[in-house]
Amino acid sequence: MALFFKSAAEKAADAQRKESAAASALRMDAWDTALARGGLPPFVQQRLEDAAERKTPWLSTMTAAELLLVRTHGARPLATVAGTCWFQFGRSWTEGHASGWRTALERLVIEAKACGANAVVDVKLKTSASEGASMDYTLIGTAIRFDRLPPSPEPVVATTSALEFVRLLEAGIVPVGIAVGAQYDWLTDNTVGGLSGNVFSGNQPLNTLGRFWEGIRRYAHAELRRDAARQGNGVLAHTHFGQLLKQEVEKQPDRYLGRHIVVGTVVEVERGASVPLKIESVVDMMDDLSPLVRESTKPSMPYLNDEEEEAI
Amino acid sequence: MAGENTIPAHALERLKGLRGQGHPGGIFTSDFSVNEFLLVRKAGFEPVGLCVGSCIYHVGIQYGNWSKNEEMGVLSQAMYHARELAMARMREEAADMGADGVVGVRLTVKRLEWDSNVLEFVAIGTGVVHAAGHAGFKGPKGGPFTSDLSGQDFWVLLQAGYRPMEMVMGSCVYHVAHRGLFKTLGQVGQNVELTNFSQALYDAREIAMERMQHEAIAANAEGVVGVILHEGSHNWQPHIIEFFAVGTAVTPITTEKDASTIPDPQLVLSVNG
Repeated sequence: MALFFKSAAEKAADAQRKESAAASALRMDAWDTALARGGLPPFVQQRLEDAAERKTPWLSTMTAAELLLVRTHGARPLATVAGTCWFQFGRSWTEGHASGWRTALERLVIEAKACGANAVVDVKLKTSASEGASMDYTLIGTAIRFDRLPPSPEPVVATTSALEFVRLLEAGIVPVGIAVGAQYDWLTDNTVGGLSGNVFSGNQPLNTLGRFWEGIRRYAHAELRRDAARQGNGVLAHTHFGQLLKQEVEKQPDRYLGRHIVVGTVVEVERGASVPLKIESVVDMMDDLSPLVRESTKPSMPYLNDEEEEAI
Repeated sequence: MAGENTIPAHALERLKGLRGQGHPGGIFTSDFSVNEFLLVRKAGFEPVGLCVGSCIYHVGIQYGNWSKNEEMGVLSQAMYHARELAMARMREEAADMGADGVVGVRLTVKRLEWDSNVLEFVAIGTGVVHAAGHAGFKGPKGGPFTSDLSGQDFWVLLQAGYRPMEMVMGSCVYHVAHRGLFKTLGQVGQNVELTNFSQALYDAREIAMERMQHEAIAANAEGVVGVILHEGSHNWQPHIIEFFAVGTAVTPITTEKDASTIPDPQLVLSVNG
């Protein structure tokens, strides 16, 4: 009758399964309440507080060379911190992206504050494959603290690597955050000949369409400035992505959809200050690709720059 | 740790989490990388804003004569005119924000998927001003200078005693003749030069370069650095190619620097590869 009675081992396994299911349900509840009130679940809070007091080993995305540099400048890594927001963009693709990023950024800063950081460096922007009209926006970086500074009430967020972060600091420039600007709009084509010309048009600039398109881009950039102004006084290393699409519906005028998004690193800099770094020009005598020349160190951005698609 | 002192006090203040008290100079935007930003500032310039000009252009239709080497005038003109409009709009944006010039200019052409005759041309770069307000860095006719040099190259160019004037370009869309059937058959299996092809490439390149040179003359430049000859086709029939020459016209800073005063680059051999 062994089939109808569970052995002691099986019973124990059952109990364990129930326990772990209950534990994971508890964790989910904790996440629910934490995200709803804009805070952190107790176990994350604990991990970060332990990191702040250096009770646990630190976790860092830095390379060994970067570790060396932040150490010589009096800083130490604390913890890997992240912010995620899975966001559904309703009617506006671009504005949805912008608010997704902003929420993720707020959450990253909450984690950084919890571990008493001065800055988060090497922040990477990541997205996972979108499912229809929703997408995941994630920021991951390494929280650091300078030995002689108290924890900051508002840690700065830098998309630059630790290497570049330190170089910028030496020049008196502080990378402080991430700014996003986005805009989309529709244009209905009520003209007889069509806004994009026809076989008889010959060479001509399409000015109505061009103005519409420029307007969208300008708005997105103006919003980028507004977003940046809350954080610092300059934006570096833009990445921008735009699309102009045409929608044709039978018996209705054609419509054009333009959308544009810009994401950049915000810095705070003293205007006109000189750069104290000494620069020496060198010629590498290597014949092959010089080890001095590495691939681009641009910050990671999840959008393809328009230029990368097709140059000149 | 001696290194700690290398971070300026105000940067540390900011890291403490103290907000800057307003920004009298306003906000600048740029697509500079960190290194470019540092070098442009080292060269004595400050970015003021990203300058963009775009032009959505309907390209007319032209068919090449099957057996003739010839320039496709309509297409050449379209490619040049559209780029010129994009550049002019970018320069206008730069002038509006009071920039002395635009560095790191990139030109792109994008096909719009809904119409093969419509192309989007974009010129994009970062507007800069001389930090000390030096007025001698303007481009032709007192307008902003334009240059496709990166921030790094900009620094090197100034070190060499030159300043950028204007990004110059020349375009030539060319139809390369097909070879006649009898000629092709007559030469099967032989080593021969296909002279009509050679000539076509020569001619097209020559026309593009001449046009670029004319622009350099008009800008009163001494020379053009970083010339790139780009060969491309924008969804045209086979045998139609565009030669596009682009570079930065430069002129000596006030009087030409004596070559002996320019520091020689240090030769290094990196052994960590």
